[in-house]
Amino acid sequence: MPTENLSDKRMSKFKNKGKEPTKMRDRRIAECVELRKAHKVEGIMKRRNISSVGDEEPLSPEYNTDNKQVFVISEAIQEIVANVNNECPEKQRQGCQAARKLLSRERNPPLKEIVEAGLLTRFVEFLGRNDDPTLQFEAAWSLTNVASGTSWHTQQVVEHGAVPAFIALLASPMLNISEQAVWALGNIAGDGPSYRDALIDCGVIPALLARLTPDAPVGYLRNLTWTLSNLCRNKNPFPRFSAVQQMLPSIIQLLHHSDKSILSDACWAISYLTDGPNERIDVVIKTGVLPRLVELLGFEELAVVTPALRSIGNIVSGSDLQTQAAIDAGVLSALPLLMRHPKSSVQKEAAWAVSNIAAGPCQQIQQLITCGLLAPLVDLLRNGDFKTQREAVWAVTNYTSGGTVDQVVHLVKCGALEAILNLLQAKDAKTVLVILDAINNIFLAAEKLGEVDKLCLLVEEVGGLDRIEFLQNHENNAVYRAAQALIEKYFSEDGDDQCLTTEATDSNFVFGASDVQKRFDF
Amino acid sequence: MELNDGNLQTLTEYLQKTLSPDPAVRRPAEKFLESVEGNQNYPILLLTLLEKSQDEVIRVCAAVTFKNYIKRNWRIVEDEPNKISDPDRTAIKANIVNLMLTSPEQIQKQLSDAISILGREDFPQKWPDLLTEMVNRFQSGDFHIINGVLRTAHSLFKRYRHEFKSNELWSEIKLVLDTFAQPLTELFKATIDLCQTHATDVNALKVLFSSLTLISKLFYSLNFQDLPEFFEDNMETWMTHFHNLLTLDNKLLQTEDEEEAGLLELLKSQICDNAALYAQKYDEEFQPYLPRFVTAIWNLLVTTGQEVKYDLLVSNAIQFLASVCERPHYKHLFEDQNVLTSICEKVIVPNMEFRSADEEAFEDNAEEYIIRDLEGSDIDTRRRAACDLVRGLCKFFEGPVTGIFSGYVSSMLTEYAKNPGVNWKHKDAAIYLVTSLASKAQTQKHGITQANELVNLCEFFVNHILVDLKSPSVNEFPVLKADAIKYVMTFRSQLPKEQLLEAVPLLVAHLQAESIVQHTYAAHALERLFTMRGANNATLITPAEMAPFTEQLLNNLFKALAIPGSSENEYMMKAIMRSFSLLQEAIVPYIPTLIGQLTHKLLLVSKNPSKPHFNHYLFESLCLSIRITCKANRDTVGSFEEALFPVFTEILQNDVQEFVPYVFQVMSLLLEIHTSSIPSSYMALFPHLLQPVLWERTGNIPPLVRLLQAYLEKGATTIASTAADKIPGLLGVFQKLIASKANDHQGFYLLNSIVEHMPPDSITQYRKQIFILLFQRLQSSKTTKFVKSFMVFINLYCVKYGAIALQEIFDDIQPKMFGMVVEKIIIPEVQKVSGQVEKKICAVGITKILTECPAMMDTEYTKLWTPLLQALIGLFELPEDDSIPDDEHFIDIEDTPGYQTAFSQLAFAGKKEHDPIGDAVNNPKILLAQSLHKLSTACPGRVPSMLSTSLPAEALQFLQGYLQAATVQLV
Repeated sequence: MPTENLSDKRMSKFKNKGKEPTKMRDRRIAECVELRKAHKVEGIMKRRNISSVGDEEPLSPEYNTDNKQVFVISEAIQEIVANVNNECPEKQRQGCQAARKLLSRERNPPLKEIVEAGLLTRFVEFLGRNDDPTLQFEAAWSLTNVASGTSWHTQQVVEHGAVPAFIALLASPMLNISEQAVWALGNIAGDGPSYRDALIDCGVIPALLARLTPDAPVGYLRNLTWTLSNLCRNKNPFPRFSAVQQMLPSIIQLLHHSDKSILSDACWAISYLTDGPNERIDVVIKTGVLPRLVELLGFEELAVVTPALRSIGNIVSGSDLQTQAAIDAGVLSALPLLMRHPKSSVQKEAAWAVSNIAAGPCQQIQQLITCGLLAPLVDLLRNGDFKTQREAVWAVTNYTSGGTVDQVVHLVKCGALEAILNLLQAKDAKTVLVILDAINNIFLAAEKLGEVDKLCLLVEEVGGLDRIEFLQNHENNAVYRAAQALIEKYFSEDGDDQCLTTEATDSNFVFGASDVQKRFDF
Repeated sequence: MELNDGNLQTLTEYLQKTLSPDPAVRRPAEKFLESVEGNQNYPILLLTLLEKSQDEVIRVCAAVTFKNYIKRNWRIVEDEPNKISDPDRTAIKANIVNLMLTSPEQIQKQLSDAISILGREDFPQKWPDLLTEMVNRFQSGDFHIINGVLRTAHSLFKRYRHEFKSNELWSEIKLVLDTFAQPLTELFKATIDLCQTHATDVNALKVLFSSLTLISKLFYSLNFQDLPEFFEDNMETWMTHFHNLLTLDNKLLQTEDEEEAGLLELLKSQICDNAALYAQKYDEEFQPYLPRFVTAIWNLLVTTGQEVKYDLLVSNAIQFLASVCERPHYKHLFEDQNVLTSICEKVIVPNMEFRSADEEAFEDNAEEYIIRDLEGSDIDTRRRAACDLVRGLCKFFEGPVTGIFSGYVSSMLTEYAKNPGVNWKHKDAAIYLVTSLASKAQTQKHGITQANELVNLCEFFVNHILVDLKSPSVNEFPVLKADAIKYVMTFRSQLPKEQLLEAVPLLVAHLQAESIVQHTYAAHALERLFTMRGANNATLITPAEMAPFTEQLLNNLFKALAIPGSSENEYMMKAIMRSFSLLQEAIVPYIPTLIGQLTHKLLLVSKNPSKPHFNHYLFESLCLSIRITCKANRDTVGSFEEALFPVFTEILQNDVQEFVPYVFQVMSLLLEIHTSSIPSSYMALFPHLLQPVLWERTGNIPPLVRLLQAYLEKGATTIASTAADKIPGLLGVFQKLIASKANDHQGFYLLNSIVEHMPPDSITQYRKQIFILLFQRLQSSKTTKFVKSFMVFINLYCVKYGAIALQEIFDDIQPKMFGMVVEKIIIPEVQKVSGQVEKKICAVGITKILTECPAMMDTEYTKLWTPLLQALIGLFELPEDDSIPDDEHFIDIEDTPGYQTAFSQLAFAGKKEHDPIGDAVNNPKILLAQSLHKLSTACPGRVPSMLSTSLPAEALQFLQGYLQAATVQLV
């Protein structure tokens, strides 16, 4: 999710510092603590293969009743162990298939039990059995599903030496086996930066790219794209540049595919690659992908729009030049629709992107005006859900701190002031503080125009004064001080700062310079 | 300090002594305890006493002492010694929770406070097992203990409600959630089950309901920053129970008390807050539950009574509805006509009714009533919440809501008409309803600025408001009268002028009402009407239109000040001021009487100034009396001085700080009216005005500077001849003022007056010192405001004493100083000078430097000549440069001369802008052309050559325009 755009440094300018010349564009804070459920909209990190294959028998009914389950499973696993360790290929295939079926159950697959039964060594061994493709396939599938579990599960698979075996299997002439290997590697890559890099070290990228051919079926390509996206994923550290450079041309190529699921994962890949420092963003921009990304913003499918918008959001959080590149690619004509998208998560991401563009130089702010983004922005302030409103508030604060006086006036005329004043009731101290910052910026503009009194009336008229006064009782010190400063400066009808000393007696001040100045130099 | 019986005994004795009413016993004991608190085991001794002492009083005393000790010493401040030994710290943390939970309530409260202080410092890192220890107590089944834990948890967690998000904070919350959320949920469920089991046991219920309230508060804190995964997963459980609790009633828990909220109200009120939190922040996740909360809360409102004890609950509940109804995707919940009708009828109308508590305040506590009703300090009231709900509903349903209320208004008015004596409150509610429905935007200054177009305000005025205003019995139904007056005031911008004019004499009559609220409202309404502006920015109501009522108005206003309770009524005094200001010369015949009354009032209030607004308007009224009367006849100034000086002398002698700045302003006004020389009465006061003690109070500075300026304008020669020994003191004031960034402009006001008015000889000896001081300040702290004032001053000096004198005195202080000032100050900064007169002074001064200063032509300063000319042309032609360096944003920048401490500034004592150059120069551009012409004829050829070599073409073009206008040519 977008960060709290705010670093404390940004806030340090609050109140006293006037305007800061270099604007901070927000960054996602690396590894921030989350209280929420992991996001449903994010790309999927690991996946289990639960598709039913033709020969599948229906699961026996006992499996579904909880009481008997433990007993039944341990019995089934014992049988699997016996079969897998049997020398007879038929038994091995049987055992392996039974394991795969257990691991493919919709609910509560016994991942841990399979690992603890010591089956992984055998499964990895089976991956090398080029003489028995069925066995290879069943083993690959089972391992894929084990690797789809928690980090611990993935670790078991890797530590049993599955990585080189899977990479070798990528080249298998049997498409379904190769595909299963792609899938398994995707799960391993998705576990985190260290396995991802381990895979890259083992040469997974060229092996994958070799399978990216025009005649590859769509289903296969979907898996391949997803695995590539996981290889782009995660930071601390980021995947190294050489790996990114290797993958990028293919990802861009996939970004022009007609299949929605491929598009979605290719977009997620781009979003991971742009979620970093400006050098990372640069590499992506140089591929010329921006116009295509902007085009994808206009798609119907949420699965495409979400990662495309995320990518754009990341890019406009980069340097002014990078933001300009996105603007030149037409992002500003795509954003208004997204700000009015029925899904609030899309509105929020769009508002986040706008807040970053608003943090740019006033020429870019001008483009926000020209392209008609202010009206939807004010709509979001009024009617968006809370997270969207929070981003929109940031947009206003960034805008008012970097915009010219005319631009600020224009924003106020569009109704932004009234909208943010209403949000002073938000139950979030930071949002309130950010709004007070925006109000202060607007007053600074009014001072330049000599229209402070007019602005005071406007603020009062829409009930803003009451709310600011009320904030003087806020428990958060920063909030109450900011509110108090506004009240004192602009709303109260009423400072010693001696630069030189003056002597005094009871009846008079003593006139005369205290000592002879060395030399005046102005 | 050993942990033994002897020490326990000693400590007991000292604690005992700290309770003594005799300071001679108490103080030394307190001192002693403070002196030993640094010893190891001291806190453990206290804990032992509070646990084991036989004496109940000593136990509580030990608990309080312990808490204060923790408060003072627990925090470890960097670079300061650790004031509590580590073994003591460990021992305290190991025992305190248990001790707190097993102590009687009085001690428990102290220890709970202590734990939250400890927790703030040590939790979670240095006190990892605190939470588990607390959570384990949930199992105890003893609700005395459980409530102790909950209360402590609440004091530990409530900061999550207002702190900024940070990784550190969120890590702590995560940790709390991991250990606390599940047990809390179990406890919540178990407590609710127990409420059912003990549904008939009132004592058990009371304990259980306080637990539930605490649990609900904890829910709020834990869910505040973001929606935790745990609570999202368990939303069904929590929301179902919250919903049930909202709808629950139990006769046993209903309280008799009308004022104090009972347990049920507290719990439900907190649940409303919880629902409002989810609705605002976690809308997406909460959506499935929201409709049933809307229904429950609405039902709750319908069934809750009028008693004060329900106020918080009702206002929270209404605010919940108000925040939900204006969100687009919940519109449908309210859309149905029946729902709207029911909300209007059963929620809004009842909460707008005038309650007996309001009636009491109206009669017995008018001041508070007025503050609440007029000035809007009504944030938590039912009426306010109901108004907010009306406004929220109008966002989408303005038409239907207006329709429904119109029906209500007419039925309430019909009820009233049937029997006004009994049903007058119905009319009050009707007026209130119309007002809240019609107001869309409002300010103090203009009243309602945007109204609901669907409400016919004029018709309502004619049919229902005017009747009450016209009623011959002024003192009957005072509440309705006050309502009617307030209506006129509120909708003054919406009502046509004829109706306002019709209202004026009626309002004048209401000034005589006995009810304080009523006559105050009448005064306030008149005051507001008199400030309204019509065409050409003239007052909407003219003095001519007021003529028939003038005498009555003035009489009634002053008579009202004699009504008990209104003797210092600020609204009344403000209305007096405004009436004077509107009526102007029409008041002259009444002044001889009125000035006596005003002076008398001043004498009374100066004994003990308590109402700052009243006093301010009193002085304003005095100023207006003087101004208006003396405008007609200057000679009357003497009679004002005669009337006022005795009171003023008393104020100055008794040093009535609140009034001194006012007195100086009124004196300035009086002195400025004099045409001949300065009266001796003023001169006698002159030395006193220079006393440093007066200048230490910031509020005195602007009026004192103003007064000294008046002295200089009227009496410079008198000062030079009879008080020359005071000149250094006068300059000392200037020196003091320019030393301050906030007051330097005041110092320049004074200096400008000195230069302009004092005979040159009298200040010759001080001139060099003056400039040195200015240069010192410029060197040490060069602010934009200072530079602007400095520039005006040196140019004024140049105009007065000539350019050569200016150049010589600069270069005498330091070689090449003049060039430096021209180059580094004048040329780059002159564009910042603001104000007509200030710009003119600079233009004339710079023209003189360019054309009357040989050094500019014949020395190394010559290179500055063209740039200076260019800067002057820029001053004429370019827009003012109003940029301010970043670090100066928060110094008060005074762009226009005036008084900065605005409160004590009397608007009607204001002085006219003074132009020291006056008619001598009408058009500085022409002066420049003529002066250049003169210069060029003195040294032919030089001026055109300087212009053609380095003046930019654009500037040259402007200059040629000036030359043409002056019909001169350069040679």
